[in-house]
Amino acid sequence: MAKAKKTDNRPIDFSAPEYYTNRELSWLKFDERVLGEARDKNIPLFERLKFLSITASNLDEFFMVRVASLKDMENAGYVKPDIAGLNPRAQLEALSPATHDLIDLQYATYNRPLLPLLKENGLTVVESHEDLSPDQAEFVDRYFQDTVYPVLTPMAVDSSRPFPLLRNKSLNIAALITEKSKDGTVSGRLLKKKKTKKAARLPLEFAMVQVPGVLPRIVRIPSENGGVSVILLEEIIERNIDKLFLNYEVICAHPFRVMRNADLTIDEEEAEDLLKEIEKQLKRRQWGQVIRLDVEAGMDKRLLNMLKEQVSVAEEDIYYIEGPLDLTFLMKMYSMEGFDELKYKDHVPQPPKYMDMSKDIFEQIRHGDILLKHPYETFEPVVNFVRSAARDENVLAIKQTLYRVSGNSPIIAALIQAAESGKSVTVLFELKARFDEENNIIWAKELEKAGCHVIYGLVGLKTHSKITLVVRREEDGIRRYVHLGTGNYNDKTARQYTDMGLLTCSEAIGEDATAVFNMLSGYSEPVSWNKLVLAPLWLKDRFLYLIGRETEHARAGREARIIAKMNSLCDPDIIRALYEASNAGVKIELIIRGICCLKTGIPGVSDNITVRSIVGNFLEHSRIFWFLNEGNEEIYLGSADWMPRNLERRVEIVFPVEKPELIEDLKHYLSMQLKDNVKASVLQKDGTYVKPSRRGRGAFNSQEECVQEAVRNAKEKARSVNSTRIFIPERSPKE
Amino acid sequence: MKIFAAIDVGSYEVGMKIFQLSKKYGLKELDYIRHRVDLGSDSYRTGRISYDHMEELCSVLNGFNDIMSSYGVDDYRACGTSAIREAESTDIVLDQIRLRTGLDVRALSNSEQRFLDYKSVALQDVEKFENIIKDGTLFIDIGGGSTQVSLFQEGSLITTVNLPLGILRIRSQLSELEPRRSQYSELLSEIIDNELYSFKKLYLNNSDIKNMVVVDDYLPYVKQRLTDNGVLSSEMVTTRQYLDFCERIKQQSVEEVAKAVGIPQENANLLRPSAALIRNFINITGAQMLWITGATLSDGIAYDYAERTHIIKSAHDFDSDIIASAENIAARYRITDAREEALLQVSMVVFDSMKKFHGLSKRDRLLLELAARLRDVGRFVSLSVPAESSYSIIMGTEIIGLSHMERAMVASAAINSFSRDVYYRDFENEEFDKITSLRVVKITAILRLAAALAQNPGKRFKKVTASIRDNELDLTIGSKAGIVLESGDFAQYSQFFEEVYGIRPVIRHREVSAV
Repeated sequence: MAKAKKTDNRPIDFSAPEYYTNRELSWLKFDERVLGEARDKNIPLFERLKFLSITASNLDEFFMVRVASLKDMENAGYVKPDIAGLNPRAQLEALSPATHDLIDLQYATYNRPLLPLLKENGLTVVESHEDLSPDQAEFVDRYFQDTVYPVLTPMAVDSSRPFPLLRNKSLNIAALITEKSKDGTVSGRLLKKKKTKKAARLPLEFAMVQVPGVLPRIVRIPSENGGVSVILLEEIIERNIDKLFLNYEVICAHPFRVMRNADLTIDEEEAEDLLKEIEKQLKRRQWGQVIRLDVEAGMDKRLLNMLKEQVSVAEEDIYYIEGPLDLTFLMKMYSMEGFDELKYKDHVPQPPKYMDMSKDIFEQIRHGDILLKHPYETFEPVVNFVRSAARDENVLAIKQTLYRVSGNSPIIAALIQAAESGKSVTVLFELKARFDEENNIIWAKELEKAGCHVIYGLVGLKTHSKITLVVRREEDGIRRYVHLGTGNYNDKTARQYTDMGLLTCSEAIGEDATAVFNMLSGYSEPVSWNKLVLAPLWLKDRFLYLIGRETEHARAGREARIIAKMNSLCDPDIIRALYEASNAGVKIELIIRGICCLKTGIPGVSDNITVRSIVGNFLEHSRIFWFLNEGNEEIYLGSADWMPRNLERRVEIVFPVEKPELIEDLKHYLSMQLKDNVKASVLQKDGTYVKPSRRGRGAFNSQEECVQEAVRNAKEKARSVNSTRIFIPERSPKE
Repeated sequence: MKIFAAIDVGSYEVGMKIFQLSKKYGLKELDYIRHRVDLGSDSYRTGRISYDHMEELCSVLNGFNDIMSSYGVDDYRACGTSAIREAESTDIVLDQIRLRTGLDVRALSNSEQRFLDYKSVALQDVEKFENIIKDGTLFIDIGGGSTQVSLFQEGSLITTVNLPLGILRIRSQLSELEPRRSQYSELLSEIIDNELYSFKKLYLNNSDIKNMVVVDDYLPYVKQRLTDNGVLSSEMVTTRQYLDFCERIKQQSVEEVAKAVGIPQENANLLRPSAALIRNFINITGAQMLWITGATLSDGIAYDYAERTHIIKSAHDFDSDIIASAENIAARYRITDAREEALLQVSMVVFDSMKKFHGLSKRDRLLLELAARLRDVGRFVSLSVPAESSYSIIMGTEIIGLSHMERAMVASAAINSFSRDVYYRDFENEEFDKITSLRVVKITAILRLAAALAQNPGKRFKKVTASIRDNELDLTIGSKAGIVLESGDFAQYSQFFEEVYGIRPVIRHREVSAV
């Protein structure tokens, strides 16, 4: 445990590296917590599959971006240590065993509890094609012949045929092959791990085939025991691989997968057309430097050596997988029909507490600010806000920032409708939203075609803020309606991510929202802001000020307290300010889902700070910041985490909630999160996360409570609406 | 309710404000959009606006068009200031803008521009403004090419002067000198002081200046920062607070100033000359309070539009400022005698009696009044060529609130009122269109008639009346002394009047005893 180095004369150096956790290692801790859900027996089986799949895709992204970035730094000779005092090499060295351990744990989870449990519950996953029954084998061979074979492109490598380019994250099967003898004798089908002495003596060639992404990875096959049986596509191909290399003998065949550096390197200053440049870079992403090689455990050594040489990976970057490669297929398994009893019941988002969906949305916003809590409450009001604006003849303009949208976004449809009906529509569509670039390019082009003014993002900055402005001409003049959110304008993820939104027609926020879009359109900043706080120019200073103000209160002997909820905390300046605040006596409760570089429990440094992480059925995503401020409490919502990227390299918006009723509601929400003892894990002094003790207390699952609360609110509201439905008879004038 | 856009094509920035104008609520600012386009650096240095800046300007203006349509703007006014005005090819630039953006930009004269700035401040908070100018006040309007300084005393405008101290000019002067960081502040001060020396000598002797009202694009950021940091608790900044700020940034680099004030570096580069300019004004005046207004030309354009379209009625009497300014010019040239009074008296009475016949406006009445007040200022310079001298003085003196054209009209009326022989075709001025020429002729005809009667510096008219009857202007002069001399000239001068209006003036005298 780190201890504060304080002497009587010297102040504490809150920047000392030992007070910080490396962000990548903290990231892996988060993935471990997600994996913990996959290992939790109290969770329905199929939900556990989903969590395991999430850990796999998370880890893929971690390699493609974070590990890749560290490797880039190392290659560039960058040796500056991070806040925890680790230089890139040291970080890579620390990460390698941690990632290997994590992957081992993933497969231990898959192979041991999950696979047998699936079988017990009627879903048999045939792990190897050798285990197929004759009927199943026949089915599989026919499936190969009819469906798979036509889309395969086998490739052999020799002096005249160069090693093929391997697509990032694509699943492939590598084989060692050798030419059949001239007399045409065939030694019969050779399965993996089987070799003949004769074959070993012949010259060996490398061959491979990509497992086609266009076909489903999970193939349902006839069942032997009345339940459902499935096999993975790569097993079907492996079984039939000799049909791809007709004049060759296949010595062995094993699946493998490469992961490449997927960080886009765009010189935005030089790029004349950002859209074209990103399209070009996306193609390149498929061919970035290989940073990880997954191979089936027990892969033939000769084959492995050939592969290693061709893709140039170090031994530490090779992962020997004890099971099927790329566990993201489990998400597809989760979606298989017929296993509903092994999943949570579908959550139906409830009508919002603060509005009546049957009434005109603009009228309701005029009555007062509306807080929305997703996914407990439906995202429909947000869609309806844009849709109503598109249809309303008094609406002059709609302006919106978009970061990640759903595949068939109703919001985009509404924006297109608005533009086509002659309204002025401005959309900042962030093309650089990682891994959504392609989707965003398609939508941006569609919007442009419809006549929207599309801004593809800002040079050097990602626009991560979530804001919509509707300008409406009303009887008493122009009125601006604004939606501000903590999450994306994505109706699909709004059912899975916990986020907050505020609908308002406050003049002060309306003015600020206008100024935001002016800035995003390249115009100058305003002299001052009324309510909104923007990154990268003002937000960090504002947070430091707010934290510092609590510190001052504490130093003056007044009660001081901060509760902050976010996805990640790794900004050194903010952490330093929090340490100072803790040192002064500020009580700080942090609810951080993911990365946390702050350490708790260091005497004199962070002994007033607690950190908890909630990993539940919904992805915790909202950012809420509460400051006691001597009783004049202030609460903010926003799109930014306390990370350098959010505070320095992104356009983010944080906004205050000022209506007392809504403040109380948000405080209640935070208190539930702090009470959670089911899905929460508490950061310990040693850097581990531990579930809080329930001794003397009942189980409290904050997400579940929010679901129940939303249902109760909706019912209560429906009752009150019904009770006010009194018919009022029209009286005769005489009466 | 009307949605109105006011566009300001400035020397270093193009700005647009969107307003909601209504009789009930007055002016409400909806949006303020600005973009840096450094037109001044071209225009002041080469007299031209470069291709790149023209491209950038048109692109920004097209963006403004989009924003205007997003508000359903009903009307707009776009004005260019010194960078456009001083370009050799102003007309070509404006034509290009029109062709490429569809926007009609009008180049404002310096006095028009300053008047609109002044209007924007005075109307922002009329009560406050009028309270401030009760004490000696300097109104300092900092521009890219020059700075306009107006002096108020006891609620009246005393004088207004244009100083060649624009922030772009100062910046370029400094950059030519390539000062070291340690020299920068001193050099900046020296450049400013050189210009302020004469100003002080001429206008500030014995003036007790308590307040300064500042119009500038970047100083409002300073005020905001002082407010954010808890230094300021009211709208007004004490000069002590301001000087403390100047002291802090004195030795700072542009980067440090930008960070301290929270503005982009490019703006910090322009803030420093502005800040120094105000500091030096404080030093020469000893002013105690500073009102950094935050008002912009766009505000002035909108107020002006709202007034002209009768959406608002100005609570401040700007005409009286213009008149006060003319009075002060006249006083400076020592022509405040009975003759000037008589000239003014007759001119106004004749104008008012002919409302139904002359077809002139209230504004023309003001121009006539100015012409009457300033007609004789040339006598101070030369008794042999007073007309030409008056013309030169009027054209060379800023009268805040008058456009360049209006000033030329006043000067033309003044010069042509001296001689009975100048026929109206001789009034032709390349700056005047036909309608303007006709207005000048009509104003001159009245002024010339009045001048025929107001010849004696010692003769006061007690009462002057006029009425129209049977195509005759019956003008009765009530005075103690007779008007024999005047009557003789009157017949000769009245021909021109008769020709212009088709009305014959007839003069009568009524003896009035001294009271």
